[in-house]
Amino acid sequence: MSVTSIMIAGVGGQGLVLLTRVLAQVALAAGYDVKSGDVVGLAQRGGMVWGSVRYGEKVHSPLIPRGQGDFMIAMEALEGLRFAHMLKPSAKVFLSKYRILPNRVLIEKDEYPANIPLLLGERGLVVVEIDAEQMAVDLGNRRLSNTLLLGALSVELPFSKDHWEDALRENVPPKTLDLNLLAFAAGRNTEAQTCATT
Amino acid sequence: MSQRVVLTGNQAIARGFWEGGGSVAASYPGSPTVEILETLKEYKEVYSHWALNEKIALEIAIGGSLAGGRSLVSMKHVGLNIALDPFMTFTQIKTNGGFVLVVGDDPGLSSSQNEQDTRALARFAKVALLEPSTAQEAKDFVAAALHMSEEYHTPVIIRLTSNLCHSRGVVELHERIESTGQGFVKDQARYNMLPPYANAQQHFMRERLLRLAELGETSPLNRYEPREGSACLVITSALPYCYLKELNAPVSIMKLGLSYPLPLSRLKAIAANYRQVLVLEELMPHMESELQAAGLGVYGKEYFPFTGELTSDEIRIGLARAGVPVEASPSALDPISTPLRTPILCAGCPHRPVFDVLREAKVDVIGDIGCYSLGILEPFEVLNTVISMGASLGMIQGVAKAHRHAGISRPLVATIGDGTFFHSGLSGFADLAKTTENITVIVLDNHTTAMTGGQDTLTTRSYLKDDSRYGMSIMEVLKSFGIKDIQEIDQFHVVKTKRVLAEALERDGLSVIIATRPCALNFKVKNPHFFVDPKVCIGCRRCVKVNCPPISMLMYEGQQKKQSFIDPAHCVGCSVCSQVCPVKAIKSSATLKGQEVQP
Repeated sequence: MSVTSIMIAGVGGQGLVLLTRVLAQVALAAGYDVKSGDVVGLAQRGGMVWGSVRYGEKVHSPLIPRGQGDFMIAMEALEGLRFAHMLKPSAKVFLSKYRILPNRVLIEKDEYPANIPLLLGERGLVVVEIDAEQMAVDLGNRRLSNTLLLGALSVELPFSKDHWEDALRENVPPKTLDLNLLAFAAGRNTEAQTCATT
Repeated sequence: MSQRVVLTGNQAIARGFWEGGGSVAASYPGSPTVEILETLKEYKEVYSHWALNEKIALEIAIGGSLAGGRSLVSMKHVGLNIALDPFMTFTQIKTNGGFVLVVGDDPGLSSSQNEQDTRALARFAKVALLEPSTAQEAKDFVAAALHMSEEYHTPVIIRLTSNLCHSRGVVELHERIESTGQGFVKDQARYNMLPPYANAQQHFMRERLLRLAELGETSPLNRYEPREGSACLVITSALPYCYLKELNAPVSIMKLGLSYPLPLSRLKAIAANYRQVLVLEELMPHMESELQAAGLGVYGKEYFPFTGELTSDEIRIGLARAGVPVEASPSALDPISTPLRTPILCAGCPHRPVFDVLREAKVDVIGDIGCYSLGILEPFEVLNTVISMGASLGMIQGVAKAHRHAGISRPLVATIGDGTFFHSGLSGFADLAKTTENITVIVLDNHTTAMTGGQDTLTTRSYLKDDSRYGMSIMEVLKSFGIKDIQEIDQFHVVKTKRVLAEALERDGLSVIIATRPCALNFKVKNPHFFVDPKVCIGCRRCVKVNCPPISMLMYEGQQKKQSFIDPAHCVGCSVCSQVCPVKAIKSSATLKGQEVQP
C-alpha cells in the first residue's frame, strides 16, 4: 500500500495553493485516494509556505512524515533548501532558480545561501534546476512559472495528459488557459532536456 | 446522484451546511476559518453574512435558530472569546433550528496570538462538541450536528484545527435537502433568560448533557478499531487520529468524533481489555483529564507534546517512550541550516511610512491586531504591545494613568486599523474620547480587512467610491463621539506625516490621525516603478530601513561598495524610499518618460 508524497515549498503570494489544488484534483481524476495540506498562516505577507500532496490506494495523513517525500517542487530556491529534510534521501527536486530575498537578507543580517543545487545534490537528492521565472516571462506572464514547474514534475507522475489539462482548465482563469497549457508543455520538455544534458 | 471531489476542510463544512438545508450563516474573518463563509457565499440558498465581529455573527445565527432556520456561525478560536457572552446564555435556551458553531483552533499559532483549546469551552457551556478528522467527516459532521442540535435542543460546536481547515481530501457530494422553519414563535419561558425562566434551564442543560453522553455510547461518530493481539489502546480524535493511522502502530484505536461529552461507559468497558490506555490529543489534556476524573488510568501528556501541532514523527517518539513497539523512523536527513523567512509588509504597503515615522519619533506604541502587527518585527520594532482586537485603546489609558502615578510624563501612541476599529474599537474610542492625557491614536484606514484576504470593511466604499456598498466615515464617527482633534493624512507624504505626528505628540488630550492610503495588495495599486541611480547612491541604507521587499543592497559592476537596488518587477511605485533618500538617488521610471510623479 504505497503512497507517493509531493512536497511543495515557496513564499507567500507565489500561488502555492493553486499548485496543491491542481495536483490533488489530477490524482483524484486518475482514480487515487488523495490528501493535501497547505500551511498558509500569514502567508500572504511574504512568509514561508509549504504544502503537500499525497496519493495512493489509501492516504491517511495530509502531512508528509519527515524523510518520506518522493518529489519536491521548490517555487523559490531557498525554500527548497529549507524543506530538503522532508524528502527521501534519493528524492527528486524541481528547483526554480527564482530567489526571493527574506527580510533578514534584505536588512543584511543573513546571507542568501549560494550554490543551493550543490547543497541539495550533496545530500543525494536529484536536482532539476529550472529557470521557471525567466521562461514564464518569455511566455508572457511570470505567474506561469508554477505551471511550468508542474509540467516538469508531470513527467514523473502516472497521470494522463487529459487529466492534467482538465485540472488546469478548472483552476486557471479561462483566458489564460492556452498560455498555461503552453507553459505546462514547456515544463515537460525542460525536464527531458535537463536529463539529456546531465 | 453523487460526485466525488477534492475539498478543503473549510469548503467541506460549507458544503455540509448547504446540503443540510442551512439558511443563515455568519462569521467574522479570521484564519484558519475564513474560507468557510467565503465558500458559503457561493451558495445562493444560504444567507451568508460577514459581521463586524464574532459576537454579532453569533447573535445573527442565534436569531436564525430561534426563528427555526438552520444556522451556522464560524470563527477562529479567539473570536469565540468575543462571542462567548451571548453563547453562554444562549446555551441555556432550547435551540429551535439547528445551530452549529464552527471554531478553528490554531495549535502552533501559525496565524494567531494564542493557542487556546476550544474543547474546554464545550464543558463550560454544557454543549456537544464534534471533532472531524478528514474533509469528508467535516462535511458529514455538519449534518450530524444540525440533527443533534434539533433533537437535543443544544448548540453544537464543531472544532477544527488549522491543518484540517486547509488540508484537502476526497469528499462525496450530495444534493441539498431543503429545510424551512416555521418562523419565530413567541414563548416567554423558552426565550427569556432571566429568573425564573433561566433557573429551570440549569436542570435542562444537565439533563441534556446526560442524554448526549448516552448518545455517544452508541453513536457511529465514535469508532472502535481493535487490533488483534494489541495490549495498548489509544483514545484519540481529529487529525491526530490520521497521523496515528499513518504510523500503522500495533495499537487498538478508539476514535472519538463526539468528544464532549465522553461516552464513559463504553470507554471503560473497552479500556478493561487493555494493559495500557493512552490518550492522544493536541493542546490541552481535555479527554485525558475527563477520563482520569472518571477513574480510568490513562496517560497522554506524559508522552505527547502539550503545545503545537502534533506530527506523526512526534507521535512515534511518544509511543516509543510509552513502551509501544513502533517501527523506527526511516532515516531522514537533518534539516539544512537556512536563514529564517519572517513575514514582511508588501511592496507599497501604506503602513510602511507610518512605521518609519514612528521609529524616528521613538515613542511607546500600543499596538493592535492586523497586518500592522508586523510592526513588532525587525527592522521596525515600533509596535511595543500586541494583545487582542481593539485592546490598544483601553490599554493606552491604563499606561497613561500608571505613568502619571509614577510621575512619568511622555506622549503615548496607539495604532488601530479600520477592520479592528469597527470590530471592537468603537467603544474603546468612546471611552477614550474624554481623556486629558497626551495620547495619539493613528487609525490605519487601508479600507479592507487585509490580513485575512481583503474582506470589505465599512470604509471600503469610500475608497472604491461605490455607493452601492454600505459604508461609514471614521472621521464622522469619531466627531460624533465629541473628539475634536482629528486629522486625515496621506501617509505617502512622509515629511508631512512626520510633522503631523510630531505636533500631535506635543498636545495633551486625545489626538487622532487617520492615515487614508488603501491596501496596495488588495486594491492592486501599481504605479511606475522606482530605481536607484548608482552614480548618486552613497550606500547609506536609509531606503533599506523602510524595509520594502524589492529593496536590497547590491554590488553594482565597477563599484567599490554595495549600493541599494530596487527590483523593478516588484516595486509598485509608492515613492516612500525615494522620499527618505538623503541624496535623491531614487527616481521614478516615469520621470524617464517625462511624466510628473505624484505620490
